[in-house]
Amino acid sequence: MGWLSVPKDWIASTGDIVKFFVRVFGELFSGRVLKFFGEALRQAGILILGSLLVIWSLGFIFGLQCGIEGAYFNRSLGAPAYAGVFSAWCDLRELIPYAFGYMMAAKVGTGLVAEIGAMRITDEVDALEVMGISSMTFLCGTRLLAALMVLPFAYIAAIGAGFFASYLAVVQQIGEVSSGGYFLIFWMFQNPPDLLYSLIKAMVMAVFIVVVGLYYGYTAGGGPVGVGTATAKSMVLNIVMVHLIGMVGTQLFWGSNPRAPIGG
Amino acid sequence: MVRAVADRAFLPTKNLLEQVGDMMILPGKTMLSALRPPYPYGGEFVNQFLFALKLCWFPLLVSTIAFGYGAPGIQAGNFATLFGSIDRLGGFFVLASIREFAPFVTAIVLAGVAGTAITADLGARKIREELDALQVLGVDPIKNLVVPRFLALMIVTALFNIYALVFGIVGGVLATLTFDAPLGPFFATLLTNASTTDLWGSVVKTTLFGAIIAVVCCYKGMTASGGAEGVGRSVNQAVVISFTMIFAFNYVFTQTLLATHPEISVIK
Repeated sequence: MGWLSVPKDWIASTGDIVKFFVRVFGELFSGRVLKFFGEALRQAGILILGSLLVIWSLGFIFGLQCGIEGAYFNRSLGAPAYAGVFSAWCDLRELIPYAFGYMMAAKVGTGLVAEIGAMRITDEVDALEVMGISSMTFLCGTRLLAALMVLPFAYIAAIGAGFFASYLAVVQQIGEVSSGGYFLIFWMFQNPPDLLYSLIKAMVMAVFIVVVGLYYGYTAGGGPVGVGTATAKSMVLNIVMVHLIGMVGTQLFWGSNPRAPIGG
Repeated sequence: MVRAVADRAFLPTKNLLEQVGDMMILPGKTMLSALRPPYPYGGEFVNQFLFALKLCWFPLLVSTIAFGYGAPGIQAGNFATLFGSIDRLGGFFVLASIREFAPFVTAIVLAGVAGTAITADLGARKIREELDALQVLGVDPIKNLVVPRFLALMIVTALFNIYALVFGIVGGVLATLTFDAPLGPFFATLLTNASTTDLWGSVVKTTLFGAIIAVVCCYKGMTASGGAEGVGRSVNQAVVISFTMIFAFNYVFTQTLLATHPEISVIK
């Protein structure tokens, strides 16, 4: 294994991933996936019961983290009452999208690779084709549809968990600002468009992660070992893309306009 | 009937507790076996070290520059610009990069890239019954497989932390340049605010992150079962458990460090 094998691997598979992306979205937009709407609902159920709790708990831990860093930072500036500014920006704009991206990649992305990769190498995917069911629609389209149905709400709930955790850390744990003073500043430094931008950022991450998971699972090969390797590879790509999407989103939405109620 | 209900309720709990217990015992066993002679794991240690290095350097480079430019660079830079104090961004990078995001981005990348590769590798060996074969041959899998990975990941994670820190600051420099600000004040406030406590805190933290990743990933790899889907499943579980444990530990560690060393949060 050489030093450049990771970037080389990405460049080699970029075209395939883009082609796969277009195919999956083709399934979605042509409406073919609606034939299997029941299966999509079942997948949505699996997603809700299996993955959301752990995603929310990571959001909660990140909220605690933002809370203590914000409280200590603002104390050092001599303005502990303004800890809300730090936690509002840190939670909503940056860290909860990252937390969501990390846990989506870890739980949902690798889960999809493991599941579909196992189906691929035990020839279940080919069996579907033989029965006249398009495996692309039945396996990939339904899972993408399920993700799109569930994840926006899951993400907003994750933000809620993060906000609650920041409140606990700043007001209850460190305790240098009253809860009224905290919330005044906290809500003043965010507004609905910020929530929308944050949601867009997280949804781009989520869609990318789901499609990459489906791609690596669908193209897995090489026996049980191959599934493990494909799972590991999908994680590498997802982690880097989560960071890049986060950066581009921040630059795009807040780069030229800080959206803060200060100054002219 | 009663028995069936009790089984349904208690068996998952029992499995969970067993796993937690096993994961607690594994680091103890690993450390004992690392210290007790003989020491056959030198070659494997170097291999794993280079493996993690080759696999992670590029993803970590991209991730830290992106994170440093986006979250602390643009957002905090915007905030500082509103107050006309963009020169303070360097001071903020001590808090943001050294204390927080360099360690956790390193841990995320190491767990996601090297950790998953380790689980996939050990899981494949388990499924192909190579681990059992090793034991039959009288080779201790913990000493020959887990110990070198444990040591390699601890050291690699701590070293990569410094690397991540440097490239995180590169992200900050890029952000300062996009605000058309001079770099002199950035470095001046960065170096005045940086303290050795922050640095050793950061290195100790990432060493322990490396230990967490190695233990969880080795354990999940060595207990993989269930054929084709099993290896994938265990990679999935390994990465979820490592992420959760890393961040839970990160919160406790940062909180303790900040509370016991008040001098590091004084802005100079």
